[in-house]
Amino acid sequence: MARKSTTTVGKDTSRADKAGQRQGARILVDGLSHKFVDQQTGEVVQALEQVDLTIESGEFLTVVGPSGCGKTTLLNAIAGLVHPTGGEVSSDGAVVRGPGRDRGVVFQELAILPWRTVRRNIAHGLEIQKIPRKEREERVGYYVDLMGLSGFENAYPHQLSGGMKQRVAVARTWAADPNVILMDEPFAAVDAQTRITLQEELLRISTVSNNTIMFITHNVDEAVFLGDRVVVMTRRPGRIKALLDCPIPRSERTVDTMARPEFAAFTERVLQLVREEV
Amino acid sequence: MNSGRLPRPVLALLFVVPFAVIIGVWVVVKHALHVSDDALASPAGVLAAARDLTGWGILPFDVSRSLYRLAIGSVLAAAIGIPIGLLLGTSRTCVAMFAPFLRFFQSVSGIAILPLLIVWFGFTEKTIQIVILYTALVPVIFNTMTGVRTIPPVYSDALATLGGGRLHVIRSVYLPGALASIVVGLRLGIGYGWRALIAGEMLVGAGGLGFMIFDARRFHDLGQIIAGMVILGALYLVIDRLVLAPIEAATIARWGLERT
Repeated sequence: MARKSTTTVGKDTSRADKAGQRQGARILVDGLSHKFVDQQTGEVVQALEQVDLTIESGEFLTVVGPSGCGKTTLLNAIAGLVHPTGGEVSSDGAVVRGPGRDRGVVFQELAILPWRTVRRNIAHGLEIQKIPRKEREERVGYYVDLMGLSGFENAYPHQLSGGMKQRVAVARTWAADPNVILMDEPFAAVDAQTRITLQEELLRISTVSNNTIMFITHNVDEAVFLGDRVVVMTRRPGRIKALLDCPIPRSERTVDTMARPEFAAFTERVLQLVREEV
Repeated sequence: MNSGRLPRPVLALLFVVPFAVIIGVWVVVKHALHVSDDALASPAGVLAAARDLTGWGILPFDVSRSLYRLAIGSVLAAAIGIPIGLLLGTSRTCVAMFAPFLRFFQSVSGIAILPLLIVWFGFTEKTIQIVILYTALVPVIFNTMTGVRTIPPVYSDALATLGGGRLHVIRSVYLPGALASIVVGLRLGIGYGWRALIAGEMLVGAGGLGFMIFDARRFHDLGQIIAGMVILGALYLVIDRLVLAPIEAATIARWGLERT
C-alpha cells in the first residue's frame, strides 16, 4: 500500500466557490495504461491500455463494461488510489498524484466506518476539513434528510440495511463537497427496489449540485438512466470502445421520458455494444 | 449463541459450578483420606489463613503492592505497545519483518529472562518492573499489529479521498479498527504479566503476593500458600471483569464487530 498523501490538485478550489455557482472540475485522462501483478496467480495483468477520456466539468459520465475490464482501475487512477504505469490523469489541469478531497469516491464495497454513527460517518469529511460544528451539523442534517436517513442519525452501520449503509456512504462523499465524485458500482449490492430509489435520488441531487460525476456500473439500464454520456469499455485490457450521448437531457428524465422510443433504441444500442464484449 | 435456553442471570452465574466442584473434590480428598495439614490445608484452614493475613495487614500490603506493579506495567505496555503495533501494522513489509521476531520473544517467557535481569539490576524493584513490562508488551504489540492488518484497506482509502492524512487514518481507522485485537493483546499481556510478576516477586523478594506465597513455605504454612494462589486467580478474574470487559462492551460490541 505505497501511497503518497501529497495532493497536488483541488485542495482549495472546492470551497472557494461553494456558494452555489461552483463548477465541477474537468478531468482529463491521457494515454492511461496500467499493469499489475496478480497476487494469486503471479501473472502480469494489463488492466488498462491507452485510455484517453475527457470528463467535462459538471458532466455525469457513466462507464459500463464487462467484469474485470479495468473500470475500477480507471476510477482508482482518477481518484489517485492507483499510480498508473503509463499515461496520466489531470483535474482542471493539475496532474493527479494521490488521493485528495477534491475527488470524492463512493466505493463498491462498504467503506463507511463501523465504529462511527450515521451522523459521524457523514460528518467525517467535514471534520477533516475542520468545518465549525454548527455548519457541520447543518450540512449533515441536510444530507440525512435528503437520503431518507432521519431517525437513524445515531445508529451504527451494523444496525442499518444494505441500502441505508450505501446511502450513508453517498451522503458522506457528497457532504464533503468534492469537485468530482467518483462512484464505483455503488448500488451493486443493493436490492432492485432500493436501487431504483437511489438512482432517482442520485439523478435529482446531481441536477441540483454541479459536480462532475463518473459512475461505474455493469448495469446498462443504470448507465443510460443516469449518464449524460455513456462510455462502453472493452474486455481486458480495458480500452474505450464507444462513447455515446444520451438522447434525453438529464434534467428531463422521468419514467415517462424513459419510455420514449429513442431512449429505448439508445439503451438497446449500448446493450448491444456491451454484449459484443462479454 | 446457541446456549440461549437458560435465562441470562443463570448463565452469568454458571461460572461458579466448576469452582464448587473443585472445592468439593478438595474437601473429600482432605477429609475422606485424612490427609494431614502438612500435606494439604483444608478450605477452612485456607480461609483462616487468609483472615489472619488480612488481620495482620500482610495481605492488603502485598496485594496492593502486586496490583500497583501490574498497573504500572500494563499502562506502560499499552502506552508503548499500541503505538508501535499501529505503526508496524501499517505496512506489510514491517509485518513480514517483525512477526517472527515478536513470536520469538513471545516464547521466551518473562521468567526465562529473570536470571539475566537479576544479573543486570540485582534483586530490585526495577527487575520486577522490567519483567512485567517485557511480558505484557510483546502480546500487545503483536496483536495490535495483526489487528491493523485485518482492517479492510478501503477504510483508509475512503479517508484519503475525504482529505484525511496519515494521522487521521491512524486515529479514525487503525485505532478503532484494531481495538478488538488490542483488547485481546491487553488481556493476554496482563495475564502473562501477572504470572511473570508473581515469579519475579518470588525470586526478587521485595514484597508482593508472590513473595508472600513463597515466604509461607518457610513456615510450612500450606493454608497461606493456597490462600495466596486463590487470591492470585480471583484478582485476575476481577481485573478482567472490571477493566477489560467494559472496554469491549463500550466499543466493540456497540459497533457490531466480531470479537477476534
